[in-house]
Formats: sequence, C-alpha cells, structure tokens
Amino acid sequence: MPESLSTKGSPSTLLAVLLALLVLSVMVVVLLPVWLIQPFKPQSSGALAWSFWLRRWSPMFTIGALLAGGVLAGVLWQGVRSPWRKALIACALFPLVLSVWASRQNHFEWMFAPLPNSSFERAVRTDFVSPSDLVLGIKVKEDAVAFPVRQVAYHHLVQDDAGGVPIVATF
Amino acid sequence: MKGRVLHFHLAGINNQNFLMQDEETGSWWQQVSGLAILGPLKGDSLTRVFHDEVTFARWRKENPGGRVLRPAADSAWKTFSANWEEETAHLPVRVNGPADGALAERAVIVGVVVAGHAKAYPVAALQRQSPIMDRLGGRTIVLVESDSGRAFRAFDATQNGATLEFFQAADSGSGSMRDATTGSVWDFSGVAVGGPLRGQRLTRLYVLKDYWFDWKIYHPETAVYLLGPR
Repeated sequence: MPESLSTKGSPSTLLAVLLALLVLSVMVVVLLPVWLIQPFKPQSSGALAWSFWLRRWSPMFTIGALLAGGVLAGVLWQGVRSPWRKALIACALFPLVLSVWASRQNHFEWMFAPLPNSSFERAVRTDFVSPSDLVLGIKVKEDAVAFPVRQVAYHHLVQDDAGGVPIVATF
Repeated sequence: MKGRVLHFHLAGINNQNFLMQDEETGSWWQQVSGLAILGPLKGDSLTRVFHDEVTFARWRKENPGGRVLRPAADSAWKTFSANWEEETAHLPVRVNGPADGALAERAVIVGVVVAGHAKAYPVAALQRQSPIMDRLGGRTIVLVESDSGRAFRAFDATQNGATLEFFQAADSGSGSMRDATTGSVWDFSGVAVGGPLRGQRLTRLYVLKDYWFDWKIYHPETAVYLLGPR
C-alpha cells in the first residue's frame, strides 16, 4: 500500500481531492451570503435570492458535508502513516465543523442589537427620554406606545403587543 | 399574518434597508414595505401600524396614559453615539436604485401616498414653508411642520365636502394652522381648537420620514415637491 496522497491515480488521491472540494464548498456556502449582503454595498435581487437560498439550506448542507467529510477522512486516515498527513486530514475536518456552527449564526444580530424582550415605563413616570428627543408613536385601540428613536436606531427591531395586536417596530 | 403570530429577526440588508426573517417560516421581509420578498410567504404583506414621529414632549402631551420603551439594561447601548443621526448622514449611499438628481441621495424627505400616487416632500422645504398645500392622487392635502422642524404630519384638506385653504397660525402654537374659509384654528393633531369648526377633526394621512435614495427605490414613480424660488 503506497503511503501517499499525491500518487496519481491512487484511490486515496481521489478521496483527498473530494475532501478538499467538500471543504471548499462549505466555505463558499457559508461565506458567499456574507459577501453578497454587505451593509454599504448595493444588492441585486438575484444576489438576495442566492443569499436567501444559501442561508436557508446551509445548516442542512454543512451537516451533510461534515458527515461525508468524516467518512472520507476516516478512510484516508487508515491509508496513511505519516503524522503530517494525519494532521492534514484532521485539519480538513476543522472548517467542516466550523461551518456547521457558522451556518447557524446570524451575524446581523451580532452587528446590531435587536430587542426581543421589550419592557415599558408609564409615560408620566418616564425620566430617561428628554422632551426634545424624537419618538415613534403608535396607537392601537387605546394603547399608545412610544419608541424613542435613539433606542430603535440602536436596536433596529423591537417586538411588542400593542392593544392586543402583536407588532414589530423596526427602524 | 393569516392568524399566525410571526417572530422577527434581522436577516440582512437590501440596498441599505433591513431585511427581517420570521422564525416560523424563514421568509425574508423588507423592512420599509412590510412585504415578504423571498421564502414561503413571498408576496404577502404585513399590516402597517400607523406611526408618527414627534418629540417626546408632544407625544406625552397627546398620550398622557401611554407607555414608553425602556432602554436595555445591558447598556452597550449607552455607548451608542448620541450623534448617531449626524454620523448616519455621512455614511455612504451605494445602492442599486434609480439614478435621479432631483435631490441629494441622503436628503430627508416626508413621503406621502394617496390613491397609489407617491410624492416626496423634502424636509428642507417644509422647514422653510409650512403648511404646504398640494394636490396628490386627486385630493387636496396639507403638510405641516412642528417641533422646530422635526415633526411632520399630513391631512386631507377637505372637510365637510369643502376644500379648506390653510395658513400658518404659529401664534396659536407650534404646528397650528388657520383655514382661510372659516377662520378656524387647527392644532398639530388636526383638531379645530377655535372658530366655527371647533371640535372637528381632519383626516390624517400616513407619512414616512425617509431618505430620498430609499424612498425612490420603493416608489419608483414618485413625484418630488420643489419649492419655487423666492
């Protein structure tokens, strides 16, 4: 058994190439939407559709890639004796694991700070907003709610129930 | 949405307007329009809640029984610059939108839509002239500024079948108007507080304060109100 990943034509070369392609594909799947949706770059509707599709399927795809990569790595591992080659195989698994995690992260919620659990103060007791500050006011039935603009400009997204109607306030 | 409550997250940015994703279906929603643009609910629209951007002093006066969003306790937010608005004004605009030299890309406008007809009224124009009377979508409307040029409201100028012509009545309070037809005085909430029509209320129109670059993406047919030279 030739202990080699680079001998042309050997089955282990094919497996190594497949493993490398797998690593490349998860990186594309996870990083492409991040690259397409940059805050101060224009987006085309095609780029958005691609991003949506990749974000939607990447959690499943990366799990599949990790399982397949694990099998490939296991087979390759048994074929090599050099510790360097074993280290290389182990290294290939690292981006696969990382992508499973990354595909489940929402980096927009790291950059910005949405407020899912909002709390409120009665208007007459509010001392944290100055009279000249702007607020977004809504009124649903008799329930009047003010969202200070500075706060929504920071959170961008606040959920609430107003007058019994679930609403999302966004800025 | 169709009897189901959706919970939203930030999911991305489309030409400098946020995209939201709902937990329940994973659809992507455009922030400014409330329209689902991708995913299972594509084509559906959220119901818009009428909102109003005014100073806290005015809001509290009009809604003494209301409630106010409390700042987050964790308070990374306190370090959030008090100058955010000025700093945002300097952020670059790079969008896939119609090129239009009518206004600066980051000019702040007050957008109104009547019967499908959209029009942008530059805040700078309303700060120079208020009220502004105009025809839009077959109606006569009036836009008025208050709170030192920071709050804007729009009303249908037709009351009891007659179109009223409005003039500034600043001596009666910020944002107040007087109509030439009856001489009644109307406050910033559109209620006649003096004169023959006292107690009547004008029909409010929804206004959106927005950047010009954003408004024209979502209202490609929009007209622009330009103040004549004077």
